[in-house]
Amino acid sequence: MRENAAGFRGPSIRSRKRQEKIGNSATLIILILLGALVLLPIWWMFRSSLMTNAELYAYPPKFLPGRWLFGNYVSTMDYFPFWKYFKNTMTIIVPSVLGGTVTATLAGYAFARLKFRGKKFLFTLCVGSMLLPTMVTLVPLYILWTRGLHVVDSYLPLIFPHFCGGGAFNIFLIRQFVRTIPRELDEAATIDGAGHFRILVSIIIPSIKSAMIVVALLLFIMLWNDLLQQIIYINSLDKFTIALGLAQFKGSLGTDWTKIMCATCMSFVPGVIFYLIGQKYFVEGIVMTGMKN
Amino acid sequence: MKKKRLLALLLCVMMVPCLMAGGSKEAGQAENGRVKIIYSFWGTPDEGAAVQGVADKFNASQDRIDVEIMAIPHDNYITKLNTMATARELPDCGIMSEAAVLQFAENGLLYDVSKMYDAGESKPLESLTFKYQGNPVAYSTANEILLLYYNKDMFDAAGVEYPPVNAEDAWTWDEFVETAKLLTLDARGNNAKSPNFDPNTVVQYGCMVENLTWQLEVWCLSNGSGFYNENGSKVTINDPASMEALQKIADLHLVHHVAPLSAGLTDDGVQRSLIAGTCAMTTNGQWNIGTCLASARDEGLNYGVAVLPYMKEVVTINTGGPNVVFSQTKHAAEAMEWIKWYSREENSWGLIETGIWMPILEKWYTDEEFTRKWAGNPNFPPYDEYKSAVVDFAVDYARPASWYYVNNTVDFNALLGSLLGEVWTGNKTAKEAITGSYDALVAAYNGNG
Amino acid sequence: MRIFPGGKTLKEAIRKAESRTAYLCLIPSIIGLVFITYLPLLSVFILGFFKFGKGAPTPVFVGLENYIRLFTSDPYFLDSIRVTVYFSVLAVIGSLIYSLFLAMLLNRKIPARGFFRAVFYLPYVLPAMAVYIGWSWLYESNFGLFNFILSSFGLDKVRFIADSHLVVPSLAVISVWLSGNLIVIFLAGLQNVPRVYHDAAEIDGANGWQRFRHVTIPCMTPIIFYNLLMALITNMQIVIPAIALTNGGPGNASCFLTYLMYRYAFISNQLGYACSISFVFFIIIAVFTAILFATSKSWIFYEGDAN
Repeated sequence: MRENAAGFRGPSIRSRKRQEKIGNSATLIILILLGALVLLPIWWMFRSSLMTNAELYAYPPKFLPGRWLFGNYVSTMDYFPFWKYFKNTMTIIVPSVLGGTVTATLAGYAFARLKFRGKKFLFTLCVGSMLLPTMVTLVPLYILWTRGLHVVDSYLPLIFPHFCGGGAFNIFLIRQFVRTIPRELDEAATIDGAGHFRILVSIIIPSIKSAMIVVALLLFIMLWNDLLQQIIYINSLDKFTIALGLAQFKGSLGTDWTKIMCATCMSFVPGVIFYLIGQKYFVEGIVMTGMKN
Repeated sequence: MKKKRLLALLLCVMMVPCLMAGGSKEAGQAENGRVKIIYSFWGTPDEGAAVQGVADKFNASQDRIDVEIMAIPHDNYITKLNTMATARELPDCGIMSEAAVLQFAENGLLYDVSKMYDAGESKPLESLTFKYQGNPVAYSTANEILLLYYNKDMFDAAGVEYPPVNAEDAWTWDEFVETAKLLTLDARGNNAKSPNFDPNTVVQYGCMVENLTWQLEVWCLSNGSGFYNENGSKVTINDPASMEALQKIADLHLVHHVAPLSAGLTDDGVQRSLIAGTCAMTTNGQWNIGTCLASARDEGLNYGVAVLPYMKEVVTINTGGPNVVFSQTKHAAEAMEWIKWYSREENSWGLIETGIWMPILEKWYTDEEFTRKWAGNPNFPPYDEYKSAVVDFAVDYARPASWYYVNNTVDFNALLGSLLGEVWTGNKTAKEAITGSYDALVAAYNGNG
Repeated sequence: MRIFPGGKTLKEAIRKAESRTAYLCLIPSIIGLVFITYLPLLSVFILGFFKFGKGAPTPVFVGLENYIRLFTSDPYFLDSIRVTVYFSVLAVIGSLIYSLFLAMLLNRKIPARGFFRAVFYLPYVLPAMAVYIGWSWLYESNFGLFNFILSSFGLDKVRFIADSHLVVPSLAVISVWLSGNLIVIFLAGLQNVPRVYHDAAEIDGANGWQRFRHVTIPCMTPIIFYNLLMALITNMQIVIPAIALTNGGPGNASCFLTYLMYRYAFISNQLGYACSISFVFFIIIAVFTAILFATSKSWIFYEGDAN
């Protein structure tokens, strides 16, 4: 079909290509300018990690450090055992992300595609649970875990909730994505005799892979930076996470900003790596099977 | 029906411990028959290592008590302790933020430490005792006072005499402002007294008076009033003298253009001003000598210490975070033993020697031999300067900050800080801001704010 | 009509199988909703009628006293509602436009696309506390970078977060900057816009804007709705800038509701009172969400629901 159209409207296709080229150059320019603006604060933090504390506040402000004190990173590592904190953080994150993504997909699918009694009610409850920040229920939950279940100084209270739907936000995200998939696809499969789980596994999941990766990514970042809950539940230094390690740099009588910025710059690298890995999957574009005809 | 009962059961699971929070946790008992106590503290990783070192030393020094450390990031310390207190999961003992001590005492969360020191023993300075309804509930582990820091090179460049180190010669407020004008320079090098001075292009300010709310108390005292009356039984922040003092601080920026606009929010005032090289003088706590000024001097900052200027009375305030024993503990005697041991100067010598903490026992201030041992090392400014502007100033002119004897300073200071935010930018005068919300301030002081 | 064992029709059997599957899928979420959200929430609601915390180690029933104090004598509360709504409106509109615009650009076949996508996502990965500290150096009223740039052009200094009129817009800018997650979700959504529609529109001679307006936007409405909701809720719940940067000031200009809650619950330890704020906050945010849902039916187009 496309070839036919091209045959009819050759010149206009060529002009469209030129148009696209111009559009792409304009896009590129906008992105470079905006990108520089977006990177400015990040650069500011990074350059601060390579300065002395005096330089950091100096006026006029310096875009580049006078001496590039990469040694700051070495001395930060003495106080910020990155690998240990990283390992601890991953102990929380890996099961949480897996559990959260799977249970959110199941729930999102049910809400988007299946008919059952109480759907509206349950969905309303689900949306309702997004409305309040976690801090609201933090104290009752802490009491439940410590006094009710005698779970103290453990990762369990941080991990367990993610096996319960992975947060309403994510259920909702999956539901929205499933609803963008044309229903004819699973109807065709139903006629072929596939059950609901078969449809979920063979049709829905391949189509919403990008959304699932987004969910995993959002969970990852959220858990990575979830300071308040980690502060409440984790007691011993041996169990400290990246977020706690970072918070610890703010002292009672003063703060070593260069060290904080060093630790910050180190700590967001895993998030970026995870993003880059995930990006490959949703960047390539998910060609929807069966859509071509 | 059955469903209803199930729901009720679930409710009980959640609510009963939450509301009734009775009972107490199991007593800690280490395997080797030694009593295990948990000590919570805040602090940076290096401070943490130091505390761990002291605890190890203590554990090795006797065979009945094992101290275990619980590290909590400083900015969230009270958050966590409040949550633990609600759940009755508090550690046995710990360091405590000054502003919350009486609040904890009010709820019966602090163990009575009045018998911690025997009659004959050398006690901490009286000014370092937190009192709830007249009873001592905690002793500061360190002493700190407010003083004036200045950049000697900037004074030399402007040809201005250094600030006084003797309290008897302290500057009046006007002298302070006049000096600050000479030290405030715009981009073309004009000082604030010059007719060509352009306040919009200032590159160096004369002074920065730290306006963290609790530190502002010293200026109200200096002007003959205070946040509260002498015994803390009445809010006097609306005294004309108190409001005038706060207005004078704001006017440094708004009228005289000798100070940067500071929102009174962050505790890095010395770094932002003196160390950054953007201000010639700044007021702040003694601890800065150890936490940031020593390393700044290594990098070339030539700073000095002096006594605070005054409005009507020469005064400074002292403070210091206390170690407390929490009443939920099963091992109060052991916890007190550890804290008492920990409070001895030789066990926190690292913090004292670097200039972060000032000792709490009187002999260090009055006996020259001890003073020299403490401050006669290269971490400190020249000994004579320090002795006069800090040690003697602390002994003769320091009054305890109000949180030693007034409850609810957390809420009071938060509200006052929020009101003053509009004063620093000149949107309101101190008088408008305070008289307009005086009732709310009193409510906060009474614990309803 | 064939009768199945048990006297049920095929249709009924299918429906039953369907709901069984649904419940099975929802078991984890239901457990979560009950135990992690609603039961604790119920206890929070009940605690709202108690004085609990400072001055009351065990809860004391006070009836509506907390609510009365909230609406009559609290020095922060009313400002707090105003500020929260103001901030949310700015941040939601800003971040949606920003992220949709960028997602469209980043979806084009341009060189170094992966790099650019990472750049705009980067802010979202940073630890929130550090982000605000970094920005505070840029915003600083006397010697910050932005004011340095302004004064080197001979302009007056701007007080950004130190000025009660500017603090909310200044913080909203940070919020927009942080919306990398919205970009990612929009990007994922753009992948799901069926190619055939674009091709068809192209053949019909639709230009870029028309394709955006009539193909992309309608297909994206479920995702736009999601992002709108997500941005609304997260921005209404904004708390970290107030903790890290402004302490709610100057004045009450950045005393967001969640920050107020945090301060009462965790700093000044007035748990019962904080619970009553939570409940009012819940009502406010629920009203906004309900409005959003109520209007959503008229503008959302669900491909999968269309017949």
